[in-house]
Amino acid sequence: MEKIKVWDLFVRVFHWSLVGLFTANALLVDHDSDLHLDIGYAIAALVGARILWGIAGRGFARFASFPPSVAGAMEQLTEIATGRRRVHLGHTPLGAWMIYNLLLAILVISLSGWLMTTDAFWGLEWPEHLHEFAVTWAEVSVVLHIAAVLFESRRTRVNLPRAMVTGYKEIPSE
Amino acid sequence: MALDPKLRRGPPWGLILLVAAQAVCAVFFLSDVLDDWRAMGSSISASRHLIVEFAATLALIAAIVFETRYILRLLRREAHLERSVSVASAAMRDVIEAHFEAWRLTPAEQDIAAFLVKGMTIPEIAALRGSAEGTIKSHLNAVYRKSGTQGRGDLLAVILDGLIEARPEPADAVAGA
Repeated sequence: MEKIKVWDLFVRVFHWSLVGLFTANALLVDHDSDLHLDIGYAIAALVGARILWGIAGRGFARFASFPPSVAGAMEQLTEIATGRRRVHLGHTPLGAWMIYNLLLAILVISLSGWLMTTDAFWGLEWPEHLHEFAVTWAEVSVVLHIAAVLFESRRTRVNLPRAMVTGYKEIPSE
Repeated sequence: MALDPKLRRGPPWGLILLVAAQAVCAVFFLSDVLDDWRAMGSSISASRHLIVEFAATLALIAAIVFETRYILRLLRREAHLERSVSVASAAMRDVIEAHFEAWRLTPAEQDIAAFLVKGMTIPEIAALRGSAEGTIKSHLNAVYRKSGTQGRGDLLAVILDGLIEARPEPADAVAGA
């Protein structure tokens, strides 16, 4: 068993804050309330900070350490298709695609949600439709993300949810 | 690991783009269904409309799942063609794969059996797949059990036998057209 530090404090706090705030806004809070807007601004600020950290941070938090790669994604899919196991530290190639997908979806949600509050776009229908589409897209993505994390944890025998709490990936030695 | 450019097809772009486009559509329809559902009164015609919409969305999602499985299959084939250098060995690969599927080997078992047929040792296979030798051995036992063979030589004999039988002469041959 090898313990490797992969997620810094910022990444972990970002991840779980986003989980809490997104769940609150999507499922719990009244969509017409002021609280919904406040949480929306907080989410936008979080994602903005994550993007800065992705550029200026260190180690596996940097975007440079998980570039969107089609070849990498195909390699990981091949590993899944053939039942081979290779240890990925940091984000796996498919995981990286999911992160960019979620960051982008949340930016679209924030932006379209904000437009609905502005005078210039008040009364127009498309920001609302875009907002709802992006929310459904993000919700489906979150479900896929959770399913994929559970699947990969089982397949690679690295407990990924625990790594996002403790910051350490525990790689089984064989 | 040198690849012959003729046999290497690269990622199945068409399929990947199709899956991506269908995913966008599925989410679009799903969002629409949810929207209608929230807005729906208790009228029966509205709920019938909703059921049809929902069924269509489910069918689309089923198609996405099916295509994703097909992509995995293509990638598995590609992974096993890695060392092939000629069209003949690609055809040979088809025959071997047909056997593996008839025996209902799991993806991992197929992978291991493919390495076995290529003459690799258990430690080599373990290193390539990133798993323990014990794991490979238990998979191999399953391969032998499912194929009804006793060992590597026996397994190869069965596959070679299939190749010879595949000639069109005998009436009971498996090889249709």
